[in-house]
Amino acid sequence: MSPVFSHGMLRLYLLKLLDESPRHGYDVIRLLEDRFMGLYAPSPGTIYPRLQRLEAEGLVTQSQEGGRKVYRITDAGREELRRRQDELDHLETEIRSSVHHLAGEIREEVRGTVRDLKQELKQAAREIRRQQRHENRSRRDWYGDWHADWDWRGEDAAAPRPERRLRDLLAATHQLLHRAHLTEAQIRECAAILDESFQRIREVLRDKR
Amino acid sequence: MATWTIDEPQKLTFDTVRRLRLRLVAGSVGVVGTDEQPTLEVSELDGSALLVRHQDGELEVDYERPRWQGPLGWLTGWRRRYRAVVSLAVPRDCEVDLGVVSSGLMVSGLRAPLVARTINGEITLSGCSGQVEAQTVSGAVQAHGVAGDLWAHTVSGDLTLVEGGGSIGARTVSGTVTLDVRAPGAGDIRVTTISGDVTIRLPHASDLQVQAQSTSGQVASAFDELHRDGLPALQRIRGRLGAGTGRLRATTTTGHVALLRREPEAEPEEAR
Repeated sequence: MSPVFSHGMLRLYLLKLLDESPRHGYDVIRLLEDRFMGLYAPSPGTIYPRLQRLEAEGLVTQSQEGGRKVYRITDAGREELRRRQDELDHLETEIRSSVHHLAGEIREEVRGTVRDLKQELKQAAREIRRQQRHENRSRRDWYGDWHADWDWRGEDAAAPRPERRLRDLLAATHQLLHRAHLTEAQIRECAAILDESFQRIREVLRDKR
Repeated sequence: MATWTIDEPQKLTFDTVRRLRLRLVAGSVGVVGTDEQPTLEVSELDGSALLVRHQDGELEVDYERPRWQGPLGWLTGWRRRYRAVVSLAVPRDCEVDLGVVSSGLMVSGLRAPLVARTINGEITLSGCSGQVEAQTVSGAVQAHGVAGDLWAHTVSGDLTLVEGGGSIGARTVSGTVTLDVRAPGAGDIRVTTISGDVTIRLPHASDLQVQAQSTSGQVASAFDELHRDGLPALQRIRGRLGAGTGRLRATTTTGHVALLRREPEAEPEEAR
């Protein structure tokens, strides 16, 4: 979460709402929506992290009541609210009286939410890519093997499981077919090859039994 | 037809507005859907005067066309400034069409179709449930809680959608695409980029037919249900999530693709 946005008005609104009475996260969301005249509905994903952040700063506390988290303002929170009351009042009157300010507030809120989310997802994406890169690298070696295998005719090559091979064959064939414009005759021929392959595989498996 | 020429900051109110068409150049534009009286607020104005026309519920805001001043007349307007900060409150069912050059655009709380086009301005959308079309060249598009279908196109601007609801069509050349999808399964999600990275977060349980591919970038996914095609020339992940009623297709040439999964505990507390 960016430090710039933590000084935003949403933070003060949260404190203000909790100053009125202790509330569940969900109540807070609903009340915030009213405050923005139904134009901006913050999501649990935006509100809960902020509440947690306020908690970390010691401005609110939370307790479990009937399976739900209830947030309560602390003295430090009240102090912060008192200190910035003017700012809050000023903003509220402006929002109510001017479309320009309302629009500006919503814009700031959305911008902040989007920025936070983007940051979070970027981080997560980087993480998952890093995890799977290793996996991919081994895959890439395996691609090489696969290419070598492709011309494979003998019995000695370390063949992967047929299922896996089938999948690769499917994918590669799909790609070939995708690019090609097939004639009637070619279509029939391909179908015949596929049928034949299937028959032969079935024979092999039957023999085993 | 009622016509106003606005050359200083001013506020106008109207009885009914069913359609809004706005063409401006620089500055900033905000449109909010409310249940109150339709209002036009010009809070800053630099240079040319604005022309406002209102007839049969159609509101038009733009600049006056310069009078014909001979074949080289356009040269006289060369240095003219066109900057305005305009905010509008319109009914939620008002169709909105915005076209600007470098103004930032902000639209919120609309239920009707919306078109927002800018060259290098930023587009911000919040709580729009109608069909939305957003186009920019170098500006970013950021949307929060767009429940309707969204079609967004940028060239180099980043595209970010938080809590998207309906179908999503996102196309960009070099911008990144970041989607946090709430409840997929109802619509199609199509993302195409050339070099921008694509990051999509899906709910823990989704009903989607997925295909994500990148020619030279990396494709990563947090869903074990999706399998990786073994193609030498490109990376591709395909498969079905849940019932597979909706579709997700992400294609990029050199960008990376990441499919993320939201933790189940991130759902609202009341749902537990």
